Amino acid sequence: MSSVEGADTVVRRWLALALESISAHEDELGRLDAAAGDGDHGATMVRGLRAANAALSTATGSAGDLLSAAGGAFADAAGGASGALVGALLTTTGRTLGNGPYDTASVVKALQAALTMVMRLGRAQPGDKTLIDALKPFVDALAAQPADAPLSVAWRAALPAAMAGAEATQSMIARRGRSAKLGERSLGHPDPGAVSLVLLLQAADTVFATS
Amino acid sequence: MTRLFNDPADFREELIEGFVAAYGRLVRRVPDASGVMAIDAPQPGKVSVVVGGGSGHYPAFCGYVGPGLAAAAVMGNVFAAPSAEQVYRVTKAVASDAGVLYCYGNYSGDVLNFDMAELRCQDEGIDVRTVRVTDDVASAPRGQEEDRRGIAGDFFVFKIAGAAAARGDTLDEVERLARKANERTRSFGVAFGGCTLPGQSAPLFTVEPGRMELGLGVHGEPGIQSSYMRPALEVADLLLDTLLADAPPDAGSTVAVLLNGLGSTQYEEMFVLYKDINRRLQAEGLTPYKPIVNEMVTSLDMAGCSLTLCWLDDELTALLDAPCASAAYTNM
Repeated sequence: MSSVEGADTVVRRWLALALESISAHEDELGRLDAAAGDGDHGATMVRGLRAANAALSTATGSAGDLLSAAGGAFADAAGGASGALVGALLTTTGRTLGNGPYDTASVVKALQAALTMVMRLGRAQPGDKTLIDALKPFVDALAAQPADAPLSVAWRAALPAAMAGAEATQSMIARRGRSAKLGERSLGHPDPGAVSLVLLLQAADTVFATS
Repeated sequence: MTRLFNDPADFREELIEGFVAAYGRLVRRVPDASGVMAIDAPQPGKVSVVVGGGSGHYPAFCGYVGPGLAAAAVMGNVFAAPSAEQVYRVTKAVASDAGVLYCYGNYSGDVLNFDMAELRCQDEGIDVRTVRVTDDVASAPRGQEEDRRGIAGDFFVFKIAGAAAARGDTLDEVERLARKANERTRSFGVAFGGCTLPGQSAPLFTVEPGRMELGLGVHGEPGIQSSYMRPALEVADLLLDTLLADAPPDAGSTVAVLLNGLGSTQYEEMFVLYKDINRRLQAEGLTPYKPIVNEMVTSLDMAGCSLTLCWLDDELTALLDAPCASAAYTNM
């Protein structure tokens, strides 16, 4: 993702692969959500990603513009808390990246802005058993990579932090979101929002590796 | 089991279309938005009460739109809050010069999306306020009332807010009365069986035969505690013990009562239960005011029921008695 021309194609390929990956895990995400919520997380993510991909089929502009447009379409189609939060994650990342550059340092800055926005909107902190518990370790790990490292290399190096973060939500008790109402019943299951975020980050890794 | 649908992805859109086709005498579709508005909305000088939430809870939320009740309902997909964009579009369609009151159950997805829409509307100069319904005593302990989720108590809060708006009260006053109604409303429920989303083959959760879940959520979240199945008499006492222990301060002795079916509980069973609820209310020195035994906030095909009490005073009673017409509730 070194040239501005290539970056928009990367965004399109990423969202297409993300839809494929989340669709393949839709039932699993639904089951995780049903353990302490209403079981619709997989369906919500699929609905949002379909709309994001549809929006990109007519959208033009830079990678930043595309991410921003995808976020708006995602939020509106998905609805719910996940819709608003993942939508804001995409939109804020896109707006901060703008017309580039799309190097590791810029992506770190954009994801840090997105993390702040998602935490503010969702009023969630690390440890509350939300997607923040995968996103924050990932952003921190990405920020710790050498600023001049190629994005694909830095991204892959940061991925294990996101996976470990999602895994760690198993032993957390939900304090935000609908599952917060169930307190200890959420113990033993990872947060579906954290799991789906890892899938999105992994899809990006696959795309970076082949672009 | 949800049996009647076409493409599950079109469930919300098709239900809105059918609802408007059936009840066009009371509501119309909000153009380019997932919602319906009252045929007489907006009215100059009168506050518009906008309700909403996920679908799957009929009559909540579109069933409460009409003259004297809500001006509009924003409708999300099944069990998913409507997006901020849809809330915004519906608000724009019904905003009057007197302002808008958002009234909805306290769930994080709804809070997020309604709050985002509220900010956007305020930026455009529309005076929007919010009262979240927090009646479910099972969802947070006393002292943390504002963290509780909203269930069947929605109905009393919507009715009182809608009546105040129809009377021509200012936005400050409609907000105050809705807040007061919410502060004096408590609900508690029991579930006997789960519910199944359209297109899904298995329920979200199951209740073991011979057992029941206490403190159910209308989204099919499992309850907070499991118990053996008890006779109706004991269920009535269990519901009332919990609610009476949580009575608001300065409660008074007149209560509006709603025994609410969750989707697949028989009306006859609920009347059997209501007999014991009524007996116990009388024994406690409480006077039930125009009780309702009906399905008012459901959860698809969930088996179970909830009991809601709203401790009334003169001003709330007058608003509860005010005329209204909607698909699910008419008072003339």
